[in-house]
Amino acid sequence: MSAAEMISDVATSSARRSRVNAMVRRSDTALLGLIALITLVAVATLSDFRTLSNINNLLNTTALIAIVAIGEAVVILARQIDLSVGAILGICAYLVGEWSGHFSGPFGPVIGVLLALALGAGFGLGNALLVNVFKMPAIIATLATLSIYTGLQIIVNNGSQLYLTQVPKWLAGLRGNAWFGIGTFIWIAAIVLVAVSFILRRTRFGRDVYALGSNPEAAAYLGVKIRLRTFQIFALCGALAGLGGLLYTSQFGNVDATAGNGMNLTVIAAAVVGGVSLFGGAGTALSAVLGALLLGEIQNVLELTRISIFAEQTLQGAAIVIAVAVYAVVSRRLRRPVRREAFLSEHPTLNPAAIEAAGGTSNG
Amino acid sequence: MARFRQLVLSWEAGLVVLTVLVVIFGQLADHDLISSFNLQTTALNNVILLCLALGVAPVIMTGDIDLSVVGTLALSGVVMGDLMAHGMATGLAIAIGLVLALVCGLINGLLVVLFDLPALAVTLGTMGAYTGISFLILGGLAITTFPNSVVSLGSSNLTGTQVPFATVVVLAIAAIMAYLVHFTTWGKSLFAVGGSRKAALFSGIAVNRVRITTFIISGFLAGFAGLLFLGNYETAQAGMGASQLLPAITAVILGGVSAYGGTGTIPGVVLAAILLALLQSALGLHGFSGEGQTMAVGFLLIIAIGAQPLARSARDWWRRHAGVREIASAGTGESRGGSESSSGASGAEVRSTAVN
Repeated sequence: MSAAEMISDVATSSARRSRVNAMVRRSDTALLGLIALITLVAVATLSDFRTLSNINNLLNTTALIAIVAIGEAVVILARQIDLSVGAILGICAYLVGEWSGHFSGPFGPVIGVLLALALGAGFGLGNALLVNVFKMPAIIATLATLSIYTGLQIIVNNGSQLYLTQVPKWLAGLRGNAWFGIGTFIWIAAIVLVAVSFILRRTRFGRDVYALGSNPEAAAYLGVKIRLRTFQIFALCGALAGLGGLLYTSQFGNVDATAGNGMNLTVIAAAVVGGVSLFGGAGTALSAVLGALLLGEIQNVLELTRISIFAEQTLQGAAIVIAVAVYAVVSRRLRRPVRREAFLSEHPTLNPAAIEAAGGTSNG
Repeated sequence: MARFRQLVLSWEAGLVVLTVLVVIFGQLADHDLISSFNLQTTALNNVILLCLALGVAPVIMTGDIDLSVVGTLALSGVVMGDLMAHGMATGLAIAIGLVLALVCGLINGLLVVLFDLPALAVTLGTMGAYTGISFLILGGLAITTFPNSVVSLGSSNLTGTQVPFATVVVLAIAAIMAYLVHFTTWGKSLFAVGGSRKAALFSGIAVNRVRITTFIISGFLAGFAGLLFLGNYETAQAGMGASQLLPAITAVILGGVSAYGGTGTIPGVVLAAILLALLQSALGLHGFSGEGQTMAVGFLLIIAIGAQPLARSARDWWRRHAGVREIASAGTGESRGGSESSSGASGAEVRSTAVN
């Protein structure tokens, strides 16, 4: 829903009622309900699902996808797209894993994280450069950089692999560690979620992202610095992909030249399933996280029920199509009465009920 | 019509110039590029890419996109291979596979058009779904024996020559597509829909039907690419041809089809595929490995698509500054602007002058 429609929504007479309704009808709430339902069924029926190790595994994998998906969501919110996140993740996984070995001491982790963020942001800036300076549509620009970054990834790897034994202890142990009983990955994902949500909701940057996604031309007239924002948006996405690379090294412990290869589409799928509109302007960081959680959970349940690992792709693909279809139908339904009410409140004489009443009195 | 022809000539001319450059430099560096053996291998290795690109091109021309072609390729290829392995008559198996591909395309079209969903998301989903079904059918196994007729379609030469049969077939398909896109009412409406869906609707074009047909054609040609894959590589396995998706879309975009729809030509797509094929072959002969070739494709895409706006903004900048300095003589600034823009990359440059 665009900002203008939200304003008209608030302006209608039924604002109070619709606020409660909106809460219930929000895609996040619905998605959360679906996730809860699947969890309940899985907990009740699958004894393997209940184990701590499985839930840890599920949440760790989801956290990794979610972090990258949040970045992708910001890009999609601004009506752009980034197809190169998988390659960025792969390069960062290898390079940061290798370089962070040189920084020992208490500040090792800090330097490692900053390194991952900076490296990823650098690649993101490369994407933005193509979009801004070469005026390429984002889908083509990032298609091109996907080729280039993948090539770079293979060159960087140089046929070798990075093993957990080669990376510093803090990085290798990141996956297993926990603060206050909650895994490090989940903490990191939560921090990213809160930070990006704050940025999207409370800062000028965030408002500009939604403005750009809802209507780029109007945003330009409103004085949004489009080029600057494009640089920032892609840099943020790249930085989060870089952070994802750091987690990837810890999670899989074996980084080769194909690391992150299938990640591009998974991440876009997570954002889309979560309710981030590919037309821009609608969705939140939380949507991406919930989408990642839903996809991760479906995959986990399929693995546990041993339906067949081959059915996974089919069901994930079907999940994307169904999610998109449901959002389209729901958003159209939501939009219709709002528009109608707004129109009628502006033109009360055109209200069919009023006309009927007027006709009725004149007849009688 | 004259303007259309001009556009064809210009963008395609740029591609030809680039191709000639690649051939000259490739031939100077390694003398094997223009050997009949290398040309034959290159032609055979790129028919699948071209077949996919020809199918996706009309979809992109209408402003949609079809990522599911590799899923359709895998699914119909696997079904054909499986049916043949179970002893079904070759012709019937092929027919079933192609009809299945057609249905895959139809499903995409119906989802995108009738439900009014974003094509990127739908075809992303159906790509996974179709690929997944091909996994389900074979369960991770591969079929490696095929009837002779299929193998000879995919990998034999035209009798008495060294021209691969598959290449001739795909070029014939390209000719048919070129006719459909550039010389029929349907083709005209394709560009109208791509240019402005609303305007096309108001001018009485059956927008939905046009869009659905593009998806059906895309699916059908992906199925045919699956058949060629079977013959060429003599293997049918789930997820086959997945690596062809991005090169195929690259060929379409490089061929001058705007990612926003409304422009592009089929000859351009064919030329772009030839350029990509020769570039990769030349790089491979010069000792560049796979990643070097991949990166080169990326850079080529940037040069072709990005150089034109860059040249234009450079020219605008130059004009602005020249205008401030020599406000009295606007003519000089104009001519300087012209010389500035002509230093851009050849392919994009020709087009920008044609458009202006």
